[in-house]
Amino acid sequence: MIENTVMLLIIVPLLFSLLFVALPKSLYKILAWALFILGAALSVNLVLDGTGVVQIGEPNFAMLENVVLILEVLVILFILAVSAKYKNWPTLGLGIISAAIFAYTFSNVPKVEGASFNIDQFSQVMILIVNIIGTAIILFATGYMDQYEEHRHLNRQKTFYFTMSFFLAAMNGLVMADTLGWLFLFWELTTLCSFVLISYNMDEEGINNGFRALALNLVGGIALSIGIILLATNNVSTLSGIGTYAGTNAAALAAVALPVALLCVGGFAKSAQMPFQSWLLGAMVAPTPVSALLHSSTMVNAGVFLVVKLVPAYAGTSLGTAIAVYGSFTFVMCSALALSQRNAKRVLAYSTIANLGLIIASAGIGTPLAVAAAIMLILFHAISKALLFLCTGEIEHTIGSRDIEDMSGLIKKAPLLTTLAALGMVSMLLPPFGVLLTKWVSMEAASSNPVVIVFLILGSALTTVYYAKWLGTILSSSMDKNAVPHKKLETYFPLSLLGLAIVVTSIFVFPIYDYFVKPQVDILLKAAPAISGLAGEFTTEIGAFTYIVIFVVLALAILIYLATKNMFTPRMSSYYMCGENNLERDRLMFRNGLCSYEKSSVSNIYLQNTFGESKLTTLGYAISIILIAIALLGGIGL
Amino acid sequence: MNMNDILTIVLVLIGAPILGCLASGIDRRITARLQGRVGPPILQPYYDVKKLLSKDNMIVNPSQNFYVIVYLVFIILSLLMLVFKQDFLMIIFVYTVASLALIVGGMSTGSPYARVGSSREIMAILSYEPVLILYALAIYLLTGTFKLTAVLDASSPLLIYTPLIFIAMIVVLNIKFKKSPFDYSTSHHGHQELVKGMTTEYGGPGFATIEIAHFYEYVFLTGLIFLFWASTPIIGVLIGILVYLLIIVIDNITARVYWQWMLKLSWSVLLIISIVNIAYLYYSQAKLV
Amino acid sequence: MSLAKSPWIIHVNVNSCNGCDIEVVACLTPLYDAERFGVLNIGTPKQADIMVVTGSVNYKSVNVLKNIYNQIPDPKVVLAVGACASTGGIFHDCYNVIGGVDQVIPVDAYVPGCCPRPEAILDGVVAALSILEEKKKGNIKGKEVKLKGNEVPSNA
Repeated sequence: MIENTVMLLIIVPLLFSLLFVALPKSLYKILAWALFILGAALSVNLVLDGTGVVQIGEPNFAMLENVVLILEVLVILFILAVSAKYKNWPTLGLGIISAAIFAYTFSNVPKVEGASFNIDQFSQVMILIVNIIGTAIILFATGYMDQYEEHRHLNRQKTFYFTMSFFLAAMNGLVMADTLGWLFLFWELTTLCSFVLISYNMDEEGINNGFRALALNLVGGIALSIGIILLATNNVSTLSGIGTYAGTNAAALAAVALPVALLCVGGFAKSAQMPFQSWLLGAMVAPTPVSALLHSSTMVNAGVFLVVKLVPAYAGTSLGTAIAVYGSFTFVMCSALALSQRNAKRVLAYSTIANLGLIIASAGIGTPLAVAAAIMLILFHAISKALLFLCTGEIEHTIGSRDIEDMSGLIKKAPLLTTLAALGMVSMLLPPFGVLLTKWVSMEAASSNPVVIVFLILGSALTTVYYAKWLGTILSSSMDKNAVPHKKLETYFPLSLLGLAIVVTSIFVFPIYDYFVKPQVDILLKAAPAISGLAGEFTTEIGAFTYIVIFVVLALAILIYLATKNMFTPRMSSYYMCGENNLERDRLMFRNGLCSYEKSSVSNIYLQNTFGESKLTTLGYAISIILIAIALLGGIGL
Repeated sequence: MNMNDILTIVLVLIGAPILGCLASGIDRRITARLQGRVGPPILQPYYDVKKLLSKDNMIVNPSQNFYVIVYLVFIILSLLMLVFKQDFLMIIFVYTVASLALIVGGMSTGSPYARVGSSREIMAILSYEPVLILYALAIYLLTGTFKLTAVLDASSPLLIYTPLIFIAMIVVLNIKFKKSPFDYSTSHHGHQELVKGMTTEYGGPGFATIEIAHFYEYVFLTGLIFLFWASTPIIGVLIGILVYLLIIVIDNITARVYWQWMLKLSWSVLLIISIVNIAYLYYSQAKLV
Repeated sequence: MSLAKSPWIIHVNVNSCNGCDIEVVACLTPLYDAERFGVLNIGTPKQADIMVVTGSVNYKSVNVLKNIYNQIPDPKVVLAVGACASTGGIFHDCYNVIGGVDQVIPVDAYVPGCCPRPEAILDGVVAALSILEEKKKGNIKGKEVKLKGNEVPSNA
């Protein structure tokens, strides 16, 4: 049963990617719906199948291993060819290094006897994210890409859909594979998909940013492959094997410390943590569905996925502390950088990096409570961020801008879209929603480490500020831009689905924790966090999160509002502008001293001089590189 | 939930606004006396709210009153959670919902004055929120739990271990009461440089809701100060009252500052002294008993 | 009696010579201390009950006056303070002056004088309060004033 589901999860998206190439554009909507239904069904099926390890033995293994080898060669050849074609020498250099490492691995590292897929609860969560949110995003793209291409005079939708569904297959493989060699292949395949999609526009900016993403991810990939080679010398060839091996004795724990640190660096690069963050910011030139799918909810999560899976190999060690400090530093730095951004997609990109940093910090703390927080944050963050990205894309099509200031007054022009975007933002920073709950858990878990907790506190305040600005702006009632809302089913269905998912997962947070997270933490750390879910509270040993009460109070507030809406003789009036406003044309215009009318405009505070990119980025690079060096040195045992 | 709890809830729902109303009236009275005036009756805030509720509901944006209702109910919720000795970190997050609701409410009206006021209030969040959470962290380090039960059950007061955070909290309260020198988002007095800041477009029942929420907020914020000496409730209440009086005096003797100045004060002085206090607690391993 | 205990005032200056304004402000000073009756000088019309107008209305300020009048929620009263606000005063036959405030919006109470003493203004406010109470009891609403009336010249 489970074997079939695992295979289908990889084969079905592959099949669809071929179908997208073969069939004409007019059928894409049907294909996307079919992919969505199939993906949702398969992932739910995988959850129902339960957990287990799928061994691939002879004779299939030999054949599949050859396929893997061929694919790896193809990946490297593709990188070399593309970077030579565009004369991007750094990438070419990194490609050659990768090729050399590959050749070394091929000739010197002993071959594994068989491969396996390990389906645990964490993989199930990731599969649910990839196959429900991911396919919903592709569905959204069918309502988005036509207009996008029309604006930019492109006709590359076949490439787009092929790469998107191919990516789903690679991502499914990545989160299920246990054999490190295979994991590496899927890892590189997602990198390639990311490159193709970032340079989708085929303009100079897109290609440059694509190469930056490729190069930085190759750095991560090289760290990853060195880590894998080092692990092979210890006879560890599976991801779950690392934890088992490290758990045997103290010497083994010390022996895997360096390779684990290298694997983590690979994960940091994939998750665009601080010295690598520029690729994710550059990736924002891609169409919004790409940003939503690869660069917020799935591919960047692969990095933190790996880091969390490695928890048993560093929990409680000084390497773990270094990782925690590093993650929390990225959290506070990127939250500060997000403060000065006006471009909505850049705000979201920084927010994504910050939240991934929070996940890494939680994993680094390494207590059961913190690891539980990390896994839950991956889930909740993926849902909220996918919704926010898709909303930003749709807002851009509605008003033709992604500047936050231009979104002022959107609620009047596109109420449903704005409500969904507001829900996404509120879920990122306010109780009773999931992201805040996990932030609360990780704060409580981190309070034993003074440096980490201070970073988390500062980052949390900064997060509140940059989302509050945006939230207030879109809910404001004065609109300058010309807005043309579109009402397409394939646009609003994914948005509403994600909005609903935020509310439902937040209400049922305890069952989700109990079913997915608790057993997983038990597997990783041999100890379950002491969390109980009585009476609508999320109670840890040091505190309680009363989320049901807050939902009730929120519902109460809505009821009171609806009940009192028509009391007290309501009457509309215009803004108070000292009586000088122009009521006929634009109520935000006021009469100046020369009796002509002038527009009043108010913008938010962005603190460019304190938190601007030019001020903080260099500092961030320096400190984060030092922190990574400390982590690596700690790994060697100096 | 038993009879006792329900009784407490009812008591808080009724008692807190009465206390807050009296506190607000005393504030206006003392302010008047400091300026050499007679001042309004102590119950003046009550008359104001009663009058506002009898006025028409004039609105700019149909949803603007929703945000102030959220503000009110979440202030009440955070006060109730404080009374029921819940998780302190959680209380702060619930309180953030309330503060944000008022800010979004101000912005939702779309008037330029309200938006300037709201932007400034967002900067106020940046100034006080870290200090508040550091206060929660201090409680955790001293008691081993974020639940307030331990603070209230302890026999020695919190203030002995957290003097620097206490000082920072006085300034935070000053910011939260929106009193001079930090009254740049909305003003209680006739300082009308931003008209009424965030609340410019609120009138009648909507503004009455904000006033009632302020009554609850007065009690909630003074409750945060009370925690510093909760072991002997009388002293705790006295400290709360003294801090409140101190803030009224500061209100009357200072002029408004730039919000940039507040941000600098908060991130350079308040945060640093709070972190120093936290570092002391962490390295001395002091425990509240 | 709820309205009478907390009258909040918005002070509008339409073309006043500032004489009356100074007297209005004097009401708030320690000597007269209007706040002991609950009077607050509020900045925004949305929260005001009593509109205190000083100065004669001219073509440039007429729309401001109407706008602010329209933005005060009911029940509301208008108090014309000073000779100019009541009748146009010494400016009544100026080329740009429309006249007293009552030419544009309904006025409930007049305070004569050039300029009136603070006691007189406070007396006017107290007189306005009883009218406010009556309006509340009788549920009398102020009419929304049209912005473009006869008094606006075509080029404004």
